[in-house]
Amino acid sequence: MGKKKRGHPDVEEILARPWCYYCERDFEDLKLLISHQKAKHFKCDRCGRRLNTAGGLSVHMNQVHKESLSHVENALPNRQGLDVEIFGMEGIPEDVVQQHNQRIIQNFYQAQADRYAATGNPPPGQGGKNPPKKLKVENPDDIKKRLAEHRARIAAQKAAGGAPTHTPPVGAPDGQSPAQSASPGTFALLASPLPPQYPQGGFNYPPSNLPSRPGSNLPVPSGLPPRPGQPGFPGYSANASTVDELVASASGQQGDHIDQMIRDLERGEAPARMGDSAAPASADEPAPEKKSKKDKDKNVRMVYDDELSPEERMALMPRYAFVPQAA
Amino acid sequence: MAPTTQFELAQPPNDAVSSLVFAPNAPSRLLASSWDKNLYLYDTLTTSENGDAEDGSGVSHGTLLRTYEHRAPVLDVCFGADDNEAFTAGMDWEVRRVDLESGEQTTVSKHTAPVRRVVYSKAHSLLISASWDSTLHIHNPTNPSLTPLTIPLPGKPHAMAASPSKVIVAMTSRLVHIYDLGTLAGALESQSGEAPAPWQQRESSLKFLTRAVAAMPSDGGYATSSIEGRVAVEWFDASAESQARKYAFKCHRQTDNAAAAGVTDVVYPVNALAFHPVHGNTFASAGGDATVALWDAEAKRRMKVYQKFADSVAAVAFSTDGRFLAVAVCPGFETGMEDYSGEGRTKIVIRELGENEARGKGAK
Repeated sequence: MGKKKRGHPDVEEILARPWCYYCERDFEDLKLLISHQKAKHFKCDRCGRRLNTAGGLSVHMNQVHKESLSHVENALPNRQGLDVEIFGMEGIPEDVVQQHNQRIIQNFYQAQADRYAATGNPPPGQGGKNPPKKLKVENPDDIKKRLAEHRARIAAQKAAGGAPTHTPPVGAPDGQSPAQSASPGTFALLASPLPPQYPQGGFNYPPSNLPSRPGSNLPVPSGLPPRPGQPGFPGYSANASTVDELVASASGQQGDHIDQMIRDLERGEAPARMGDSAAPASADEPAPEKKSKKDKDKNVRMVYDDELSPEERMALMPRYAFVPQAA
Repeated sequence: MAPTTQFELAQPPNDAVSSLVFAPNAPSRLLASSWDKNLYLYDTLTTSENGDAEDGSGVSHGTLLRTYEHRAPVLDVCFGADDNEAFTAGMDWEVRRVDLESGEQTTVSKHTAPVRRVVYSKAHSLLISASWDSTLHIHNPTNPSLTPLTIPLPGKPHAMAASPSKVIVAMTSRLVHIYDLGTLAGALESQSGEAPAPWQQRESSLKFLTRAVAAMPSDGGYATSSIEGRVAVEWFDASAESQARKYAFKCHRQTDNAAAAGVTDVVYPVNALAFHPVHGNTFASAGGDATVALWDAEAKRRMKVYQKFADSVAAVAFSTDGRFLAVAVCPGFETGMEDYSGEGRTKIVIRELGENEARGKGAK
C-alpha cells in the first residue's frame, strides 16, 4: 500500500514530532518548540525577558525582580512544577514521555477510526480480502436459480387461476427485500441484479465494525473517551476536556480501564478549574452546573455557606455590634 | 524597572478591612475602611520617616496620612466629588461625609439598620447608600436642600456598584436591580417623593449569596461574585444576543487531597471584584483562598493569579491610572466562627502593575 493518505500522516510521523512538556503542544521542529517554550512558559512577566528554562526564569525573577516563581505559566495543571528542568525535549520524565506517546497513539487511531466511520471506507490493507468493489455477491448461477424459482411461482399462481400479480408473495423463500417490492414484475422479467439488491449481501462490514486494526496491541480505540474537542462530550468544553484528558493520563492510568478513566476525568476536573489558564473560556453557565451535580460524589466544602452574609454574622458579635442609643 | 513591585503599607488598619478605594484624581491616594471603626487615608508612594523600612531597602512603604474615627465599624467608603471628600457607610446606621482635609464629619443620611454600601456618581452628583433596612437612600450632596429619596428594596442589599450611567444593587434571594442614574437624578430633582422603578430587574446568574458587584468602566455590563467561588459576567443590553454572551465560571477553589475522605474541593467566597480603569475588560477578583486573579471579561480568559497572600483577601482596588493594585489581606470569616478578629493580621499590599500586566491579550 504505497499510496499516502492525503493530509493524514502516519503514526510514526506524529510520534516523531517534538512536543512541549508544559502544554502538550507539538511542533514541526525542535527550534519552534524551544521558541514556544521561551515565549509561553519561560517569559518573565515583569520585563518580558525570555529565559531558556524554568529554573533560569526563577533565578531571574529572584535576582532582578526580587520575586519568586511559584509555577510555570500557561502550563497544564499537573505540569506547573519547577522541579523538572525542561529544555526543548530534554528533561522530560520517562513516564510522561510514555503517557504522551500513548495518548498520541490513542488519538491517532481514534481519529483514524472516526475517519473510516465517517467516510465508510475500510482501513487500508483490508481492501484485498474483503473489497468494497465486490458488492454484488450473487453469482450468475444464483440469479438464474432465483429467476427459475420465481418463474415457477408465477406459473404456479397462473395455474391456480390468477392473472400475474404484481404483489410479491409475503415471506417468499427467496428473501426478497421490501425495497424490491415496488416492481417485482419488472424484476422478474428482466431478471438482472438491480441496485436495490445490495442490501442482500453488500454491507458485510457496517462502519461500527471498522476501527480495530488487526495486529495492533493497543487499547481498542472505540472504548476511549471522545477525543478532545469533540462535540457532544457532556458538560465538557473543548478546552477543559483536553486538559482533563491529560490530567487523567498523567495520573498514571492505563487507557484500558474505562470506568476508572472516566472517574479520573471527573476528579481531574478540580485542579483543572484552578489551574486551567483558560478557565473562563470553559465556562458557560450550563456546563458548570452540570458538573457541580457530578461533583456531588466528590466532597465539596464551602468555606462560607450561610444565608446571612459574613458581614451580618460579624455585626452580631459584641466586638463589632452597634447598639443605638435609646432615642 | 523598579526592584520591587509589591510592598505592604506601613501602619495597616488594626482590624479587618471592609473596603479599599483609590482617589478619583491622585493615583496614590488610598482610603481603607476598617472594622476597627476607623477610616484610613494613605499616600501609597511616599515613605514617612517613622514608616519602618525594616528590610533597609529604602523601598516605599507608603504613609498613613490620617485616620478618621467613627462610632462603629465602617462597612464601606467611596470618594465624593474630589480627592478631599469621602462618604462612609457605618454599622451605626449612618452615612457620613468626611472632609479629608479638615477631618470634619457630617451625617448625610440615617437608615434604620447598618449601612452596607455607598457609591457616588460624579457625573450625576448622586450619593447612593444601601442599607440592611432594605432601602436605598439617594442624595445630592451638592444640593442639600433637596429631600433625599428613599427607595424600598425587595431584599437586603449586599453589594452595589455604579457604572457611568447605571447603578447595580445585588440583594439577598439572588435579586439584582439595576437603576438608571439619570432617572434617579430626575426623581430626586422633581421632589415628588415617588421612588422610581428599577431600569431592569434580574435574577442573579449565581445560585448562592452575592458577595460583590463591579461595573465595567465601558458601561457595557458588570460582574458579580458569590460566596460559592464563582463569578458571573453579564451585559446591560437586554437583547437576546447580548444576554447570550453572559457567562459564569468557577474560581478561588482549592483541591485538598489530604482529607481522609478522598479529594475535597474547598470552595472559597469571592470577596471583591474590581474592573481596571484603563483596560476596561480586565477585572480582578479577590478570594477567600488568599489569592487575587486577573481576568479578561471579553476573551473569557484568566490572565494572572498572584501568589498567595498570608490571609484571605477582603478587598481590591485599582488606582485611577491603573498602575497600582491595592489588596486588603485579613483573615476570612468562615461558617461557624464564634469569634473573629483581624487584629495584627490585617495588611494592605500595593502592587505596581507591569505595563502589560493588566492588558487583555484579546480573544484567542
